[in-house]
Amino acid sequence: MFDPKVLRRDFPILTREVKGKPLVYLDSAATSQKPREVLLAEKEYYEQHNANVHRGAHTLGDEATQLLAKARQTVARFVGVREGEVIFVRNTTEALNLVAYTWGLDNLKQGDTMVTTVMEHHSNLVPWQEVARRTGAKVEVVGVTSEGLLDLAEYQQKLTLAPKLVAFGHVSNALGTINPVKKMTKMAHKAGAVVVVDGAQAVPHMGVKVNQIGCDFYAFSGHKMLGPMGIGVLVGRREILDPMSPFLTGGGMINEVTRENSTWADLPDKFEAGTPNVAGAVGLASAIDYLERLGMEEVRGHDKQIVEYALQEFYKVRNLVILGPKDANYRSGSVSFEYQGVHAHDVATILDSEGVAVRSGHHCTMPLHKSMGITASVRASFNVYTTKEDIKKLVEALQKVKTVFGK
Amino acid sequence: MDLYREDVLDHYEHPRNQGELTGEGVESARDSNASCGDMVQFYLKIKKGRIEEVKWKGIGCAITTAAASKLSEYLRGRTLQEIRKMSEEDLLSKGIGFTVNPGRMKCLMLPVAVVRKVLDR
Repeated sequence: MFDPKVLRRDFPILTREVKGKPLVYLDSAATSQKPREVLLAEKEYYEQHNANVHRGAHTLGDEATQLLAKARQTVARFVGVREGEVIFVRNTTEALNLVAYTWGLDNLKQGDTMVTTVMEHHSNLVPWQEVARRTGAKVEVVGVTSEGLLDLAEYQQKLTLAPKLVAFGHVSNALGTINPVKKMTKMAHKAGAVVVVDGAQAVPHMGVKVNQIGCDFYAFSGHKMLGPMGIGVLVGRREILDPMSPFLTGGGMINEVTRENSTWADLPDKFEAGTPNVAGAVGLASAIDYLERLGMEEVRGHDKQIVEYALQEFYKVRNLVILGPKDANYRSGSVSFEYQGVHAHDVATILDSEGVAVRSGHHCTMPLHKSMGITASVRASFNVYTTKEDIKKLVEALQKVKTVFGK
Repeated sequence: MDLYREDVLDHYEHPRNQGELTGEGVESARDSNASCGDMVQFYLKIKKGRIEEVKWKGIGCAITTAAASKLSEYLRGRTLQEIRKMSEEDLLSKGIGFTVNPGRMKCLMLPVAVVRKVLDR
């Protein structure tokens, strides 16, 4: 297993100070930090190869086009799909909206049902609400059990409504829960639904093979997996992408344009209108190279160790109520808690004064927080550079909350 | 600046002017920050253009609570004309008297927004 203490040297930002104290970065689920080589890959692209892609017969144009194609190959191999099934977008939100505004609006109608879950990030709920509003379809929301797992009995029951679309997260960004996505996909397919998986919090931490999950769409973001901001991926099965309408139209996504009509380019170009974020794609490919050198099994091994340690240390702190499953086998990436008697924002501000960066609020999961009867929580989230010392420093900083508020 | 300095914490732990007002001349409004669940309602008893009595209630973080408490003290006895003339910055600097980092500004602004809402009635 890699040593996170050694690996931290690859991440320039981790040497900086905050409020005169060494930065303890525990907000990786919001966005991960980036290793030097990812930053250099983007820089080198702009300094050596920058040109627009798919046009012009000049050397730089060819190089940029090849780099984009190579990045796509890297992503496709990493998640176990074919190149034409990888669509570059800005982020997970855009990927899910692409599905909603194309497949969703084309296929849902009055009286139809979509199923999603209460543990979704707003980006995997609001687009379906919007499809419902525009088509007259409805959204059914599956709840979670008291252990913080998805209620599979309720899921099964909602599937009897014969939903046309089922959307769920691979890993919850607020509870840390890992959902049994393969099983859930199988169940949804049996019910005749198209399956959309939000993988934003899974791909950074575990080996994900979309072909093995069997879902129709799978979305994730580069910036949460050591890559740059502004690049994300929608993976779609070729059979379902081929007949789909385009999302954005214009340059780069056409075959032939006349005064009256246009025909669309083949996959994946059909879904990539306008100049793509080539530097971002190159940076993402570099991040994947970095993760693959560590090995995704090792990455998950480290993730589980840190989650286990955080659970163990947080349970010792009085006044903390930990959200989500108690067993690290069912969790990844983060541990959220409520500090009883002190508002999450106050906790986060005090932690920040000790150099500790955490997320506070509802983490874009308002329905989930409401279902748990709380308005806000504090989330500590991790990545490959997170050490047990980081967790220790967070727990020490929590002492200051006690000092300030006497709770 | 230390956000959680003593006087701010004191207003959080012992909020001034908490409660409700009813009856003639009482104007009230409420607002919330959905993102953090904070809610504040202000009651102003107005007589001849002057704020005679101020009460407020709500739930919130230390910043919102202390800000509402301090603002309630500032408002009492002042004229509507005087408060209406004040900009948001004035209300923050004179009415609340402490500031926060940009990430917490919404917490500080909630009581100000509610008071503005009452005065717009």
